[in-house]
Amino acid sequence: MPRSKKQTGLGKPAEVTDITREDRVMKRVFLSPAVIVLLALSIFPLFWSLGISFTDILRGGSTTAREAAMTESAPSGFLGMDFSVTLRNYDRLLDDQRLHTAARNTMYYVFVGVTVQFVFGMLLALVLNQSFVGRKVVRVIFLMPMMTMPVVVAYAGRMMFDSYRSPIADLWRHMVTWWADMPLIGSKLDPIIPWLTDGSWARASIVLMDSWQWIPFVTLILLAGMQAIPDDIYEAARVDGASSWQMFWRITFPILLPLSVTVILIRGLEIFKIIDVIVVTTGGGPGSATESLTMYIYKTALTFGNYGYAAAISFVLLVLVIIFATVFLAVARRAAPRAA
Amino acid sequence: MKRRTLGQSILLYAVVIFWCFIVLFPFYWLGTTSFKRQLDVLRLPKYIPFYDFEPTTEHWDYLLNMRRDVTWRHFRNSLIAASGATAGAVFIGAMAGYGLSRFRYHWPKLNWNNDNIAFWIISQRFLPPALFVVPFLIAYANLGMIDTHVGLIIAYTMFNIPFAVWIMRDFFDGLPVDLEESARVDGASRWTAFTRIVLPLSAPGLASVSIFSFVFSWNEYLYALMLTNFKAITLPVYIAGQNTQRGVEWWYISALAITAVLPVIAVGLLLERFITRGLVAGAIKG
Repeated sequence: MPRSKKQTGLGKPAEVTDITREDRVMKRVFLSPAVIVLLALSIFPLFWSLGISFTDILRGGSTTAREAAMTESAPSGFLGMDFSVTLRNYDRLLDDQRLHTAARNTMYYVFVGVTVQFVFGMLLALVLNQSFVGRKVVRVIFLMPMMTMPVVVAYAGRMMFDSYRSPIADLWRHMVTWWADMPLIGSKLDPIIPWLTDGSWARASIVLMDSWQWIPFVTLILLAGMQAIPDDIYEAARVDGASSWQMFWRITFPILLPLSVTVILIRGLEIFKIIDVIVVTTGGGPGSATESLTMYIYKTALTFGNYGYAAAISFVLLVLVIIFATVFLAVARRAAPRAA
Repeated sequence: MKRRTLGQSILLYAVVIFWCFIVLFPFYWLGTTSFKRQLDVLRLPKYIPFYDFEPTTEHWDYLLNMRRDVTWRHFRNSLIAASGATAGAVFIGAMAGYGLSRFRYHWPKLNWNNDNIAFWIISQRFLPPALFVVPFLIAYANLGMIDTHVGLIIAYTMFNIPFAVWIMRDFFDGLPVDLEESARVDGASRWTAFTRIVLPLSAPGLASVSIFSFVFSWNEYLYALMLTNFKAITLPVYIAGQNTQRGVEWWYISALAITAVLPVIAVGLLLERFITRGLVAGAIKG
C-alpha cells in the first residue's frame, strides 16, 4: 500500500497529519466491519445466486435428486453432486408470459410512479417554499406517510379505494348523480369504478398508494434544495422583469436538476423493490395483472419452491435495474453536464 | 418571493390544506374504523363519530385484552429485530463512516480511493433485496436461522449499513478534527478518541441514522415474510396475513395498524429535525 498523503481542499476537514503506525492499523479496523458484512451478506450471495440460477436446485433438493430418488439410482449431477448444471432456467425466461407481465408491470410502476411523484413533489415544494403560517406543522405532517408501514398504507388504500364502501366511492357516486344531466359525458359515467378489481385501474391505484407515501419525500428534498438557492438571484431576475414562469424554468429548475436526478434515481430504484403494497391490495391479481417482479420471485422461491428459476428471474430484475440506472444517468448527464 | 397578492395567498393555503387533508385522511379513517361496529364498516361509509355512527371500543378491547399475548408477541418481535438491527447498523456504520472521513484509503488493485469505496457501499443499498432471496433461504435453512430474531437482525443490519455509512461519513466530514487531535496529543488512542470524543459529539447524526434504520427494519416486509414462519413473525407480516382469515376484519386490522404505526410516527414527530437533516444529507451528497 502506498504511503498515505494528507488530503487537502474540497471542503474536507484537514486530516490528522501524521499517519502513525497505530493509524495504519486503525484505519483498517474502522472500515473492515462494514466491508466484511457487505461482502459476506451482499456480494457473496449475489454470486451464489448467480450460480444457483444455472442449476436445477429446488427447495429441499433438486430435479436431478428427485429423479434419482424416483428411479432409485444414484444422483448423477454436476461433478457427482445431487444437482445438475443447466441453462433451462434462462431458456424458460424467454417464453414465460407471467414473467413478461411482471416485468411490464414493474416498469409501469417505476415510470408512472416516478413521474407522478416527481411532478407533484416539485409542485408542492414550489408552494411550500413560500413562508406561511403553520409551516413547521406541515413539515411534520409530511413526514407521516414516509414512516408508515407500507402494509398499513396498503390496507388504508384498500379502504380508500373500495368500489362500494369507501369514501372515494361515496364521493364519486355523489358526483355522478350531480353530473347526470351534463351533456355528452353525464350519461356515460359509471357510478362504480373498479379501483382494485380491474387490471389497469388496479395498477394505477397501486401507483397512487406508493405516491401518497413518497411524494412528501420528494417534496422535502427539493424544498431543502430550493431553500439553499440565494434570494439575490431571484431579486436580480425580478429587476430584469422576469416572470415567475421564467424564473422557475431558468433559475430554480436548472439549479435543482442535479438534486432532481438523485431523487428520481432513488425513487426509481426503490419502486423496483415494490411488493408489500401489491400483496395486501390485490395479491397480484386479477390474474397476474398487478404482479411485480419482486413478488413473482418471492412466489417462485417460496410458494413453488423453484430456487433455480427464482434466482434466474432475480437476475432479470437486476438487469432491468442496471439498465434503468445507466440510461437515466446518461440522459441526465446529457441534459445537464453537471448533474450526477 | 416576498410580495404576494391575496389570490396567491388563498391558492397557497388551499394547496397546503388540501395536501394535509390527503395525507391525514387515511389516518383518520384507520382511527375511526377501529371504533366502528362491524355493520358500520360493511355498509355505506360513516364519517363522523357520534354523528353518523356510535363508536365502540370492543375492537380495542379484543386487540389489547383478549388477544394481548398475540399482539404483544408480534410487537415484541418487531421491536427486537428493529432495535438489534439499528444497534448493529449504527455501530458498524459509524465506524466505517469515521474511517472514510478521517483516513485516506487506497486499494491499488482497483485504484479505488475513499469516494469509490463509499460509492460501492451506498450502491449496495440499491440492489433489489429480491436478488438475495434464494441464497438467504438456503443459507438460513442450513444454519437453522429461519424463524429466529438473530436471523432477521443480521439481514436488516446488512440492509441498513450502506445508508448509515453514508450519513455518518457526511456528518464526520462536518465535524472539526481539533478536539480529537488535542485528545490524541494528550495521549488518547485513536479508539478512545473515537468512542469518548467523536461519538458523543455526533449524537445528531447517530440519531438520524438510528431513526432511519429503525423505521426501515420496523416496516420491512419481504425478508420478514421469507425468514420467519411462526415464532419470530413481525408486525408487517402479521398484519398482511390478516388478509385471508375469515374475510377481512377491517375494524381489527385498523386497530392493529394504528398500534403498529403509532410508535414509529410518535418518535418520528418528536425527532423531526434529525429525519429531515438525514434525508437531505443522504440525497444532496448522493
